[in-house]
Amino acid sequence: MEKWSRLRNSNLFQAWLVLLLSLVFGMSLASVEIALKPRIQANKIKETMEKIPGVVLGSDRAQAMQTAGEALDIEPMTVEAGGTFYRVYRTAFDDNTLAGFVVKASAQGYADKIELLVGFDAHVKRITGVFVLDQKETPGLGNKIVEEQWLDQFEGRSLSSPLVVVKTRAEKDHEIDAVSGATISSRCVTGIVNQTVEDLRNKLMVKKQQESNAANEKGGNGHG
Amino acid sequence: MNYLIDLGLLALSAAVINNFVLYYFVGICPFIGVSKRVDMAFGMGCAVTFVISIAALLSWSITTLVLVPGAPVSSFVASFFLSKEAAASIDLTVLSYIVYIFSISSSVQFVEMYVRKFFPFLYRSFGVFLPLITTNCAILFACLTIMSNIAGVDNPADAWDLGRALVFSIFGGLGFTLAIVIMSGIREELEICDVPKPFQGAAITLIVGGILALAFMGFNGVDSGIRRALTPDPAIEKTVLLDQGEGRLCRLSLDTALSQARRP
Amino acid sequence: MADQPTALERFVQGILPENPVYRQLLGLCPTLAVTNNMVSAVTMACSVAFVLLCANVVISLIRNLLKPHLRIVIFTLTIATFVTIADRVLAAYLYQMSKALGPYIPLIIVNCLIICRCEVCASRQSVVTAASDAIGQSIGFGLALASIAAVREILGTGMFFNIQVLPVAWPDWVIMVLPPGAFLTLGLLLGLVNFVEQKRAGRKG
Repeated sequence: MEKWSRLRNSNLFQAWLVLLLSLVFGMSLASVEIALKPRIQANKIKETMEKIPGVVLGSDRAQAMQTAGEALDIEPMTVEAGGTFYRVYRTAFDDNTLAGFVVKASAQGYADKIELLVGFDAHVKRITGVFVLDQKETPGLGNKIVEEQWLDQFEGRSLSSPLVVVKTRAEKDHEIDAVSGATISSRCVTGIVNQTVEDLRNKLMVKKQQESNAANEKGGNGHG
Repeated sequence: MNYLIDLGLLALSAAVINNFVLYYFVGICPFIGVSKRVDMAFGMGCAVTFVISIAALLSWSITTLVLVPGAPVSSFVASFFLSKEAAASIDLTVLSYIVYIFSISSSVQFVEMYVRKFFPFLYRSFGVFLPLITTNCAILFACLTIMSNIAGVDNPADAWDLGRALVFSIFGGLGFTLAIVIMSGIREELEICDVPKPFQGAAITLIVGGILALAFMGFNGVDSGIRRALTPDPAIEKTVLLDQGEGRLCRLSLDTALSQARRP
Repeated sequence: MADQPTALERFVQGILPENPVYRQLLGLCPTLAVTNNMVSAVTMACSVAFVLLCANVVISLIRNLLKPHLRIVIFTLTIATFVTIADRVLAAYLYQMSKALGPYIPLIIVNCLIICRCEVCASRQSVVTAASDAIGQSIGFGLALASIAAVREILGTGMFFNIQVLPVAWPDWVIMVLPPGAFLTLGLLLGLVNFVEQKRAGRKG
């Protein structure tokens, strides 16, 4: 009898409610996790994948493709370059012709990290577009780097020389107009683009070469 | 060297530039409630810094060793029941909030016992505020930031190690101390001022806090400025285009090209 | 038990007389952090409402089993579970919103408001009273967040729920959507509420 009353007053016994609740809550959390985890993963991936056609083809053509019900085949891969790992997306049309490459790059901006998607065309000669995935720049000033109007400047730029940010009107081929009042944010974005180009240009060129060699070999017999 | 610079900038950012109270809005309740006297405010700040460092240590260890997919302890335990692959992909992050809040409560209990034993005078002067540190957003915020920098990164090499986690938390706590001590100094002055009746108490504290936040905004961009001063800027770096034959062009920085040319 | 407020009283008290932000000064962290636009504010208010309602109901159901020195542990466990569920549901169905609100959803766990209501009301009164208390306090919290967010968004961007309400020529007071604006707005609105309260008390007494 003594033992039983001592047991009843012990901490473990008094904590039976806590233990029971932990079990019940643990199970409900596990079921919520099982039910929702696939959806959350899909959301994370969709976030980047959604933007890729627009970056590599330009928004008009991507829109047209979407209305026609066609989709780009997007293949992610990891490429090591310049001392870090880059996430590169190879995009191709339905008939497996290369559409271009999109690279996810990030670096320190003015306030915090800026994450970009940079698009290379199929010949790895020009930039097809830039999209800002994540930024925490000053609202109203550095924030303007997300505006399409400013990012359009990067479209069609050649990869041969690094881009330079100028505060006055940009005239030469490799000059980019800064966002007024946000020179540093503009420089950071341009710097990321330049660094990505410098790191990946050769590797992507090699990949493109490998693909066209493979395609030539397949169709080469016909040429004799 | 790079690592130390990273740590230094992280410390600066957590303490001053992205101050916990004035930028992230965590720890507001004690900021308004406890900031009437400088000595109380300083004591509260020190207690919070102490608790935050213990909590950060606990949460980093538990997150890295138990919670993330592929963590050593959980996959070891699971390997007794499941196949090797299934055991390696056990993801316990859904329990992270519960684990953090309980590790914070235990840290506070621990600190309370320690202070009661070794600093009884301090314990008496704190009164009810010490257990209340459990509901201080700043500590949970530090744990959450550590988690998002371990579990939420694409590249496992970018995950925070213990050094970064501890530096972020300790200097975050110091930043909180800084803000609360400044605020208490200002409030001591306000005691003898003629504050209008509707604004006495919390309202004037918030308005003064707003002006403080405005002042601290001046530090915006300091860490990225220092970082950029220490790394070359690719946007204006001098480069040369070299023809390596077979139509392959290679762009090198001027320094690299010159050093390559000098080599026999 | 007879002198404890009824369900209806709890409901009405929560909206304005015992408003969690303006009168009790609880839950100030999310109030300042997510009120830079209306959508975030409304989402946060709904999340807090969900957690508060569920926690109050569960605690009220087990109120006779609570041991005095373990009750805080049980409150914390319950609240943390419901916050995790709310966070996961948001991440699954409103992913952009979940990213925008960031760490402030899990910070609901240490929101003094919920623990306070569990302690004061749910652990002592019936399920119906606890539920109506939760709903009343949530409405009050939502009103407070909405008032601050309205001021900050309209003055800071000229928009309300992302619809332009001020003329485009309005020079956005960017400071309003930045941290100092949050402090100043809440401080001034708090002063205003205190002023109105004091006038009412003066007229009655």
